[in-house]
Amino acid sequence: MSKMSSPSKRARVAAFTLAILAGCGPNVHSSSVRGAGYVRVDEVIKHHPLYSQLSQLDDAIAAIQLQAAAPHVPLSAAQIAQQTKELTREMQDAQARAQKIIAQKQQDYARREQQAVAAALAAAGVPGAGQYAAQQMSATSAQQAQSAAQAAGQDFVAYQQSVMASDNAAASAIARQLQTQAAEKYRAKAEQLQQSETDLSLRLTQQDAAQSLAIKTRMSNLALDEATRKQLEGQLAALDAKEQSQLSAQRKSDAATLAAYRTQLDNETNAALREQISSIQSQTAAKINERRNEVTAQLRNLGPPALPSDLSPGVKDKIAQIQKQFQGQFQADAQKTVDEFNATQADLNRQFAALHGADVGATGAAAKELDALQKRRDDLYKEIVDQIQREASRIAKDQGFSIVFSGVDAAAGGYDMTGEVTKDVESLHE
Amino acid sequence: MNIRLATFFVSAILLAAFVAPSAIAADLSDVGFVDQAELANLPPFVAANRQLAAYKQALDQQFNSAIKGASTDADKQRVSMQFQQQYSDKQREIVGPLFQRANVAIGQVMATRNLSVVVDKRIVIFGGQDITKDVETLFMSNQAIQPPTATPGPSEIGYVDQTVLDGLPKVKAANDQMQQFASTERALYAPKLAAAKSDAERKQIYQDFNKALADKQEQLLNPLVEQTKNATAAAAQKRNVLLVVDRADVIYGGTDITADVQNELTK
Repeated sequence: MSKMSSPSKRARVAAFTLAILAGCGPNVHSSSVRGAGYVRVDEVIKHHPLYSQLSQLDDAIAAIQLQAAAPHVPLSAAQIAQQTKELTREMQDAQARAQKIIAQKQQDYARREQQAVAAALAAAGVPGAGQYAAQQMSATSAQQAQSAAQAAGQDFVAYQQSVMASDNAAASAIARQLQTQAAEKYRAKAEQLQQSETDLSLRLTQQDAAQSLAIKTRMSNLALDEATRKQLEGQLAALDAKEQSQLSAQRKSDAATLAAYRTQLDNETNAALREQISSIQSQTAAKINERRNEVTAQLRNLGPPALPSDLSPGVKDKIAQIQKQFQGQFQADAQKTVDEFNATQADLNRQFAALHGADVGATGAAAKELDALQKRRDDLYKEIVDQIQREASRIAKDQGFSIVFSGVDAAAGGYDMTGEVTKDVESLHE
Repeated sequence: MNIRLATFFVSAILLAAFVAPSAIAADLSDVGFVDQAELANLPPFVAANRQLAAYKQALDQQFNSAIKGASTDADKQRVSMQFQQQYSDKQREIVGPLFQRANVAIGQVMATRNLSVVVDKRIVIFGGQDITKDVETLFMSNQAIQPPTATPGPSEIGYVDQTVLDGLPKVKAANDQMQQFASTERALYAPKLAAAKSDAERKQIYQDFNKALADKQEQLLNPLVEQTKNATAAAAQKRNVLLVVDRADVIYGGTDITADVQNELTK
């Protein structure tokens, strides 16, 4: 018998042949596939070597969100005042920083714009351009404009601080007042209940007085036998126990009433506090906005000196173009600073709201951590999905697919490439 | 030995050659896609979105004042709905005509290229026809765009409107129940997590919370998901559709099998 005819060899040849057929991959062009494939990306992601990191980030994000859902213990007036003060200081620091940066940028762009205008005038051969340039660049006029802008800015910041300080003082005063009112109401209720308990005790004593007196009178009889005396003592004790039991039930009920009343008062106080503070904050914001508009209008008048009136249309156009260009650049640059400030302000506002009992989710350091984690998570997710898509594309090309989808709800045909892509992604990191 | 081996291979190759042709069919070649993110960066869309953002900012201020005046939950809901409506109206006014023009442009390009469906680029990993540039050119041209005269032919790519399926009584009831459960569990676990003293304790609490949610989901939602998947596949087969995607990913054309799936699910 030849070697090839042995059963083990035949099996090997059969396996090899099957392997060749299997190696051809799926019948991509069959009527049920039609060159269309799909990948369940969410499934492949679970097999990606970086999936554990993605899960950790997801868990960390969800844990912060869950923790933020915890109810907050109401703060005392002193705690609210202290934390409000800290938040106000942070807000003022952020405003001062933003204003300083914007003022610096404004000055810088204005200087560059003036240089460009002066250069354009000189290039156009405008008579007296040098003198005009000198005037434009005059340290005095620049300094005057800068001083005026600075003064207006400082005035605005001072105004803002004073308005916010009165807002905080008013908020603290209202908090104190509301809490004092609540404490008084609570004390009154407690006294009322205590009075009722005293009345009940008195009533019970009076109610049983005749019976009690009769028992005591009988007990004072010296000739009383021991058994009767014990019986009378028992009756007296039972009377006393009955009174105590009724009194104790009343006290228990009063304690529950008082606890419920405390909760009700806390809720009412917090609601009233939120309403009052919200109203104060709206008024403050309106006042600050009004002043900001005034200051902006004043600053708008601090433009550069007028251009010579006899400029040719071409030079005028050129200068208008320069001004537009620098204005656009300044606005775009300043917007970045404004955006940064707005983000800080939004976070501080959320902390403000949280301080006054609003349900605002994660705030402060937790919110920052949450943002940072979310960004890392998004970047990592994108990295993973991009790699999966690259591998899927390569396999699709090798196997001759005409189209491959990633988001498929259900399939009555097509070819599910999830298994191949998963193996491929796993093998890349072995 | 060599002859027998060769005969075996030849047989295998012949087998493959004879079996394969009977199952071969024309590949799907009438699927196009558009990069919607790129379209959104076209200047008219950027300008419209900027205008809308400014409107929203002003509206938010009005909303904040109005909501403070609402004392009851019903009032708050009414105010919220009123402002939402106002925003939607403005959105329709500003962005609506642009969407309309983009949609007609996509339809026109689709007709020119004989496509049966155009989907969002996000769901295409490989292949398909990218018509983004053609659509952009037509959209940005000064000419009036004529809508295609004929509706697209039947497509082997189907879609299901998930929002419609979510509205089915049993799906809605399950979703509401799940939401209610999650809310109760959150209220239960959040204080525990806040009071936890160590990382290990926090981790354990969080794992317990997750497990409670996952168990409920397994019991409440997963059977429905499976049922919907099977109903969708069955409906797709009946309508000669190969693959089914979500309505939100289809931009133009395709075969809508939502009603069929609805019928399957309510059987």
